[in-house]
Amino acid sequence: MECAFAITGKDFVLIASDMSAGRSIIQMKSNENKITPVGPNLAMACGGEPGDTSRFADYVDRNLRLYHIRNNFPLPPPSAASWVRRILAESIRSRSPYAVNVLLGGFDTTTSKPHLYWLDYLGTKADIPYAAQGVGMYVTLSTMDKWWYENIERREALDVLNKCVDEVKKRVTIKFDFNCVLIDKDGVHSLDLKSQDPIAELEAKVAAMKPSDPEPIIPSSDAPAIAAA
Amino acid sequence: MEYNGGSVVAMIGKDCVAIASDLRLGQQSVGVAMNFDKVFPVNDKLYYGLPGLATDVYTLREQLRFRVNMYRMKEEREITPKTFTHLVSSTLYEKRFGPYFIEPVVAGLPSPTELDPHPKPFISTMDTIGCITTPKDFAVAGTASNKLFGVAEGLWEPDLEPEDLFETISQTLLNAVDRDALSGWGAIVHVITHDKVITRQLRARMD
Amino acid sequence: MFRFNFSLLSAYLNPSSLVLPTAAAISLTVFSPDGHLFQVEYALEAVRRGTCAVGVRGQKCVVLGVEKKSALQLQDPRTVRKVAMLDDHICVAFAGLTADGRILIDRARIECQSHRLTVEDPVSVEYITKYVAGIQQKYTQSGGVRPFGISTLIVGFDPHDTVPRLYQTEPSGIYSAWKACAIGRSSKTVREFLEKNFTEGLERDEAIKLTVKSLLEVVQTGAKNIEISVMESYGVITNLEQMEIEKIVATIEAEKEAEAERKRQRVVATQAGQATMAMGSSAPSGTSTPQPPSGVTAPGGESGVQ
Repeated sequence: MECAFAITGKDFVLIASDMSAGRSIIQMKSNENKITPVGPNLAMACGGEPGDTSRFADYVDRNLRLYHIRNNFPLPPPSAASWVRRILAESIRSRSPYAVNVLLGGFDTTTSKPHLYWLDYLGTKADIPYAAQGVGMYVTLSTMDKWWYENIERREALDVLNKCVDEVKKRVTIKFDFNCVLIDKDGVHSLDLKSQDPIAELEAKVAAMKPSDPEPIIPSSDAPAIAAA
Repeated sequence: MEYNGGSVVAMIGKDCVAIASDLRLGQQSVGVAMNFDKVFPVNDKLYYGLPGLATDVYTLREQLRFRVNMYRMKEEREITPKTFTHLVSSTLYEKRFGPYFIEPVVAGLPSPTELDPHPKPFISTMDTIGCITTPKDFAVAGTASNKLFGVAEGLWEPDLEPEDLFETISQTLLNAVDRDALSGWGAIVHVITHDKVITRQLRARMD
Repeated sequence: MFRFNFSLLSAYLNPSSLVLPTAAAISLTVFSPDGHLFQVEYALEAVRRGTCAVGVRGQKCVVLGVEKKSALQLQDPRTVRKVAMLDDHICVAFAGLTADGRILIDRARIECQSHRLTVEDPVSVEYITKYVAGIQQKYTQSGGVRPFGISTLIVGFDPHDTVPRLYQTEPSGIYSAWKACAIGRSSKTVREFLEKNFTEGLERDEAIKLTVKSLLEVVQTGAKNIEISVMESYGVITNLEQMEIEKIVATIEAEKEAEAERKRQRVVATQAGQATMAMGSSAPSGTSTPQPPSGVTAPGGESGVQ
């Protein structure tokens, strides 16, 4: 029982996911993070079979990191999505498939464009501006259909996201808590949905961080030893 | 087939062929994307459509692209519609006991050769394990195939010029998918003629 | 199948020996009667012909310095690399066949990520060294392969640790830890230099200077053929800019110049002393070293100059 959704905007992607963990009707945890950063400007929300989700996220993360170290450049979001899709498609016809549904959001620093991919455990891929998965799919998709528009700004997108959260709380019988990340040119940032103005907090944080350390979550994006003059 | 939905239709005209698909990608009853094109080019005389399970649409498309590129490099010539059909067919049959859930449709204009200076436009379709049919009029596949059959049967006539063929295939597709819950959400049409390919997105019912 | 091919090949290449292939022809690394593995020794020779690489461990940092072959006029110098990252916290430099190095580095990189995936911890420097050396050893004991023609210097920090580490591996699969080490062309000279000049607990700038200094023993062309990487703690790696290296080389050169000047002065002073003594008294028998007279001391003091 999970619920995740994501919104792309002008120069960013927002991904929100519930934080519940449990089996059937029993909830054992309400602060499980299901959104993994898998690159300097790439993050993935995983839903599905509990063991598979974290295994899959780690597997993707390590492989993308290996690519980054080998080539001194991270795999851009469209290519990363194709790769993840392929892993899922190969897995579904294997003896032990990953039962994982993924929302992959990223910011392509080479073209300065946000990307969002909807992937299911079969290896289906959709390249769409807003997406949802899990039990909240029906209500959040409708909400985003109504409120989303092209090149939406951060605060407006966050409003839409909060509308989705409210709708889930109103219409879905299961109680969910959500966490949220924002991905932009500066990296993957977690947002506190409970705060008054998460975007302002984020801007302050990024401004404070900029001079010394440009990347808060993924360590040293540029392999310095290889960055030749 | 019914999991993601989607339909493809191809028609023969006079020195031209047309192939069209809807743009919906669903997860059963929920619509997920309205930009899911199921028709892909091999070259500017040959297109193919892959309606069926969306994961296999990607996988098969990647597989076919690889094989066509290898063919092109080894043979140093473009693949003909007929050869391509057999390539698709054998690719499907390789997975005889765990098939791709796809019913491909191929549409192309063979290039003139010395032996055959006036080749006929070519369409073909297959089942999920690669059994080929090569109709002389039209080919349909996907969740709206039964409706497509009916409408196409009524609208199609021999030797249509490109613009008339466009009109016929567009009306056929739109009217068929409007009666199908799993197809629709936009449509795209390609008309292949000897000197150009006309590609148009149709304004369709978005519900 | 493979054996068959191979025997055909060797027969073709050497028509005078149209006999069954010997054991040495099938598996390249077999003992010679006196217990040597020639292929491994040839591999070491390949290392000796490779460009020089130096590693120096400081108090809180570890420095890698490599001799860069000057790129050809039309070549893109960025594509010629001697220092590579294995993971966020580990760097490697190698000497020998570059193509072999690439393969070994790639295998090590995969292991770094694989290790993180399976036990959720980054590798320790010793672990990855052991792994690299393990691969190199395998290629001295399997049939139909040749050893890697490279030695490596692996530097870095263990996770949750502040001690800088420096390891070396060889084509034979030997690995060892060092305070300062050199591999490749003229590595013996450089190592001797390091033995003379290394002191414990070097600060960052001192360690860098020692590295550059030791490299200058073999690199005639100076700063433009030197590349320096400094790792200061877990995941903090910097590559020195050409300008910075040039500056360091300039200081070293200035120091050397001053040193030479001092020596010259002293020789002059000594000679002057000798002359005065020869004049002042009857000639001594000549074996004992003449003491400089108290009035004429060489500038800069005496202690430890030589």
